[in-house]
Amino acid sequence: MREGSAEGVDRSGGLAEPTIEPFGDAALLIDLGPATDQAQAVRAQALAAAIEAGRTTTPAIGRPVPAHASVFVPFDPLEMTLEDAIAVARSAIATSALPGPTALDSGDDTPIEIPVRYGGPDGPDLENVAAAHGLRPEEVVELHAAARYRVLFLGFAPGFGYLGGLPPALVTPRRDNPRERVPAGSVGIAGGHTAVYPLAMPGGWQLIGRTDIVLFDPDRPDPALLWPGATVRFVPVDDR
Amino acid sequence: MTEPAFEVVDGGLLTTVQDEGRPAWTHLGVPESGAADPWSLAVANLLVGNEPGAAVLEMTVTGPSLVARSDVTISLAGADLGARVEHGRALPTGRSHRLAAGDVLTFNGGRGAGATGGIRGYLAIAGGVGVPLVLGSRSTCLPGGFGGLAGRALRTGDLVEAGPWISPGAAGRPRRSEAGWSPELVWPEAGDDDRASGAGNDVALRLIAGPDPGIDALVAGRWRVGSAFDRVGVRLDGEPLAGGTGGETTSHGLPWGAVQVPPDGRPIILGADHQTTGGYRVLGVVISADLPILGQLRPGADVRLVAIDRAQAVDALADRRDALAAGAAAVREAAGWSELVDTAGG
Repeated sequence: MREGSAEGVDRSGGLAEPTIEPFGDAALLIDLGPATDQAQAVRAQALAAAIEAGRTTTPAIGRPVPAHASVFVPFDPLEMTLEDAIAVARSAIATSALPGPTALDSGDDTPIEIPVRYGGPDGPDLENVAAAHGLRPEEVVELHAAARYRVLFLGFAPGFGYLGGLPPALVTPRRDNPRERVPAGSVGIAGGHTAVYPLAMPGGWQLIGRTDIVLFDPDRPDPALLWPGATVRFVPVDDR
Repeated sequence: MTEPAFEVVDGGLLTTVQDEGRPAWTHLGVPESGAADPWSLAVANLLVGNEPGAAVLEMTVTGPSLVARSDVTISLAGADLGARVEHGRALPTGRSHRLAAGDVLTFNGGRGAGATGGIRGYLAIAGGVGVPLVLGSRSTCLPGGFGGLAGRALRTGDLVEAGPWISPGAAGRPRRSEAGWSPELVWPEAGDDDRASGAGNDVALRLIAGPDPGIDALVAGRWRVGSAFDRVGVRLDGEPLAGGTGGETTSHGLPWGAVQVPPDGRPIILGADHQTTGGYRVLGVVISADLPILGQLRPGADVRLVAIDRAQAVDALADRRDALAAGAAAVREAAGWSELVDTAGG
């Protein structure tokens, strides 16, 4: 059973009407439809922000988690009925869909700059990625560093941001054999996304470089360097 | 500087500081963490006069070995890991105990409670475990390497401090009496209906349907807890679900207890340290009332998955809350806390 319908009033420039479903006994999942592009992630971020803003008056709602084309909304089922939680979600959908500037078209969009040492021991998959696309490694670096990326959402690990905007010429599947340990700061490609590993962990992304920037520090006021909606560019450095 | 409560002689298999976790940072990819068995977290704390969500030690299968550096009141809840004072008495689970400086607390892994006996014991210290708040919680975030004691499991030589956080409703100083919890409340049993229908050594976990179709096939399967089990999740072994039942989907936020089924058809139930988002199909979600049971699943245990509806799940959670409140009231009465508070100056 799905809430909402495709025939609803279209307030979002051709995107599907969101559906709202219970997810377990203590959460909702608001599904925005197919994850086509960055617009869906921006929509999810606006919706999560609207729900977050309302939590001061509805403390039974937990921290919303935006993803590529959805928002996960936990709530305390002993303090709030499912119907009331759905009403909060509906209200946030209406609020966040009102016309107004979005992060996508706002003029002030200073990118977060991440210095990267490409290739060599820091980017052991750079040559494979280049070979897969008939490019030279330098061309991969040029393409990767020339693009402007947007943080679609965070997940997988503390401070791990999935970045959209990878040039189509660099879209590369994950490695067949994931590594047991990817060093912190590694810059990788998987499918149409690029990302930086905030900490050492197992992973299957194609590693093309590495940064010394600390992506996540729980003792900082803003623990994560990246946040949903931020723009990012990579700056090649050679300081080995 | 006061003496710490304990010095760690041996950390055991995996002993971490846990409280109610940090659910407010999931939008940045930070796992919730917190006690894998939240029922036993609350029971342990109530037995020493702490708030139910205070920080405790979560011990796994083989507990640690700890030497008391000062006189200290502790309690034990969750799985019985065979606690005893070296050269001295056994310490039953579901009670508080007074230890004297110099006592060595050891665990022998329990008395073979069998496949349903659980794997996680909880040790509360009156006043809580004294570690700093990180992102609003004292829980250890093992995937992120922060929180708790230096972001990792306890190891030899670590010092465990007692905190000052005695509940306002309890005594204003370490309690002198020992309190017990009625035995039927020590263990997070499944509901009565389920117990009546269940026979044998399997553990029942109640689910409600997830966002992706296929809960009927999931519930029909015969599952056993695999050897891949940790605070992030539990892999279920058994006949894999038919091709096309599992699979990938667009990544979205996930609840604790979600039953993910990757393309290989082998279910994974997400635990307290689970990733905040994921892209595998979710066929069911363990009800909130049964998360304590999930946190106690022993490798090799047979697991029976039972589908119920959401209204039943919320009723079961309300029952848990009421049972906890009743147990807490009984402990307070038995321990005579109000009397202790009255005479706290004497």
